[in-house]
Amino acid sequence: MSNQEAGSNRWLIGIIVILLVALCGALCVGGGVLYFLMQPSPTIITQPSTPAPGTTPRAPAQQPTARAPSTTSRNILRLPGGTDPRTLDPAQVNDTNAGEYIAEIFSGLVALDQDLKVVPDIAERWEVSTDRKTYTFYLRKEVKFHDGRPVTAQDFKYSIERVANPATRSPTAENYLGDIVGVKEKLNRQAAEVSGVQVVDDYTLKITIDAPKSYFLAKLTFPTAYVVDKNNVERGGRTWTDKPNGTGPFKLKEYVRAQRIILAKNENYYGEIKPKVDEVHFILSGGSAMTMYENGDLESVYVTISDIERVSDPNSPLNKQLYIGPTLTTGFIVFNTRKPPFDDPKVRLAFAYAIDRQKVIDVVYRKMPLAAKTILPPGMPGYAEPANPITYDPAKAKQLLAESKYAGKLPDITWTTIGGGGSAAQNIQVMAAMLKDNLGARISIQQTDDASFFNTIDDPAKNPYQMFDVGWAADYVDPQNFLDILFRSTSTQNWASYANPEVDKLLDQAAVENDNTVRFKLYQQAEQLILNDAPVIPLTHSREYWLTKPYVKGMIYPPIIIPRLKYVSIER
Amino acid sequence: MATFILRRLLWLPVLLFFVSLITFALGVYGPGDPVQVLLGLRATPETIERLRREYGFDQPFHIQYLNYVTNALQGNFGYSLVKYRDQPVGALIAQALPVTIQLNLVAIFLGVGIGVPLGLIAGLKRDSWLDLLIRGIVVAGISLPIIFLNPVLTFIFSRRHDFVLAALNLKFSIGPLLPMVQGYWDGIFSAKVILPAFIESLGIIAIMTRQMRAGMIEVLSADYIRTARAKGLRERVVIVRHAMRNALIPIATILGLMMGGLVAGSFLVENWFGIPGVGQLAFDALMARDYYITMAMVLLIATAYVLSNLIVDVMYGLLDPRIRKS
Repeated sequence: MSNQEAGSNRWLIGIIVILLVALCGALCVGGGVLYFLMQPSPTIITQPSTPAPGTTPRAPAQQPTARAPSTTSRNILRLPGGTDPRTLDPAQVNDTNAGEYIAEIFSGLVALDQDLKVVPDIAERWEVSTDRKTYTFYLRKEVKFHDGRPVTAQDFKYSIERVANPATRSPTAENYLGDIVGVKEKLNRQAAEVSGVQVVDDYTLKITIDAPKSYFLAKLTFPTAYVVDKNNVERGGRTWTDKPNGTGPFKLKEYVRAQRIILAKNENYYGEIKPKVDEVHFILSGGSAMTMYENGDLESVYVTISDIERVSDPNSPLNKQLYIGPTLTTGFIVFNTRKPPFDDPKVRLAFAYAIDRQKVIDVVYRKMPLAAKTILPPGMPGYAEPANPITYDPAKAKQLLAESKYAGKLPDITWTTIGGGGSAAQNIQVMAAMLKDNLGARISIQQTDDASFFNTIDDPAKNPYQMFDVGWAADYVDPQNFLDILFRSTSTQNWASYANPEVDKLLDQAAVENDNTVRFKLYQQAEQLILNDAPVIPLTHSREYWLTKPYVKGMIYPPIIIPRLKYVSIER
Repeated sequence: MATFILRRLLWLPVLLFFVSLITFALGVYGPGDPVQVLLGLRATPETIERLRREYGFDQPFHIQYLNYVTNALQGNFGYSLVKYRDQPVGALIAQALPVTIQLNLVAIFLGVGIGVPLGLIAGLKRDSWLDLLIRGIVVAGISLPIIFLNPVLTFIFSRRHDFVLAALNLKFSIGPLLPMVQGYWDGIFSAKVILPAFIESLGIIAIMTRQMRAGMIEVLSADYIRTARAKGLRERVVIVRHAMRNALIPIATILGLMMGGLVAGSFLVENWFGIPGVGQLAFDALMARDYYITMAMVLLIATAYVLSNLIVDVMYGLLDPRIRKS
């Protein structure tokens, strides 16, 4: 190679290196600039904390920084936050993950206490008309938004009409507020106002519903009915929840997406139970929450199945920090009663008797959930132990199958489940094997992603699945939320396509019954009829397992969205 | 050269048009939709119908697509439908992108820093046991899928590993290494970046090693190396000044190609380690049918690849005038 060529080579290398360095540099600088540009807004949301007069001076508010907060302050509660909440807008929330934050930042007319009883919140009392269709709420006069503006009945009217405004695109409008006269008309653009909500005066609100419904107040405890500040919503545009102006016991101090959410105590909170900790830090991003808890970086943590054995060991020091609480959930196997062989109740019952639930729970779930004998979960009002529960009884299962019209000619069955792994969830494989051993059922397991799954089962009349499994968690604390919604023949969530006129009649009676003792009796009767027909097999009621440091008092993990952090104090 | 670059850039809108059309069609005609995911088990037909109507999902495909393109051309890439309801897609990506770029820069740094020396040694000690060993490790590194390596390495570096060491009677605690894998994304200058970036870099190491080894072998047999040796230059000078420099040229072009990958994200690593980059954002968006995030991600990745390819082509053009002419 001549000198000249070597020279041009060097020249080329130089150009390449410069190009690369320039590109790297541009990406670094661009990335860095973007990163820092994004920091002040909308990533980091800061709100000036305004201490009320007379309170002890607080530590200066932490400056938002790109680094995670390392807190040594004593009155800060640090909790695992999991994934980002989908939203902080009360009109948009329909999951517990987001609801947890919203219930602390906002509040409504009524709330649930720790025993899940409906108690006054912003409404100090209410009257129900004799036809039980009109509720008159009398609001507390001292309630203020976080910015100090008093809350009036007008704000509630605005908030309900905002949910009913089709442009808000609330996913929960019909479910929680659809009973109010005029909400559906507004949702369908047939009315400008919600006629069922009337402002009597600044502190009196009248709500009319379409029929007597004993569970109506329970529905109003859900965030959909919370009060929001009109100025906040209208000035903030689509991302107004970056700086929410709520009424709840805590304010949003800082939210760095995928990193942390910091709530600060609302010094002017109106409730009898005042928040006790200064700040609550939710750690949002990855990493093992259990390890962080053990390293002293979190005050409380959920226990997952991978740690349950270690934590349950009475010799473990962690065992003394372990709490177990109920959840209002039931896991089911659902049979499509329009599809052979499950159009015959005997086949469904045979399947129910052929599954050893306790064994599945002991082996696959490490004993974490309870075996379900009923549709209603324990803790739900109206829950009762069934007189003769379905137990594991292979002999009876075989007998039932022999009596069915599919005796000796049980067709191949497909069990559809949500999943995407190389093999289906263990519990389903185990149960399919039990059905094969005890009944000779040939079951193949079909996995699908949740979007397609919901898409299919949401249309029960056309659902091609033969059998599938779902879990149902209470939206509000009333048996209606399980029995009426899942088993009424005309319900759109009647996944089993179950139809029993007797059950429908009992559900109708219960819906208008005023006396809770009688009402719960009616639901129990309906439940027993459903269990006898076995359109579903109740499998499990989940339980919550959590660890809390000994110096933290009042930490609860309620089975439904309620404001819970005001109960917590740190006593070191 | 200018016309060459211009011509290539003019192809970009055409490409983006087809990419967006296909992606949009997959979203609209694929199974499941964001409304369904949003409502989950609580979907009643009236709520589904109302939300679809309000979002315009009941419109014919071409109207939906035209609306999207019209808005996108005005810089509005839509709002998240499910995962971060009502947050603008542009802002979500702008938050996630720097994280991914940082992670991948560390990965490329590790990949070059480890891969080039390995390839150099393998090339110099061709066919020796050292060469075999390096090639073996590299083949294993590129062949083992990330989805397998993630849990294995996390296991090795996690507290649960302590009992394995105890069983082997080793007095060695892995405790100080814990911050590497646990906790949350803490920026580029944190030890937590090392493990994910290393896993991410394995593929780069493999490519770099192979390329460097092949380059060295080729260059070492070139005439000018023989000349250099014949001149009586010291072996160190021959290798560093003459052989290595020339073997590095293709490495530079490969690096250029990798710049596209910087933006494409690292789906598996980010999702396993909970790193809030575009890989995680895109994965969540895909699972939730959060159309507009997916669309913006695909367009961004397509643009990044076009541009990085362009840079490589320009570099080749500089290297070899024949390409420029064709």
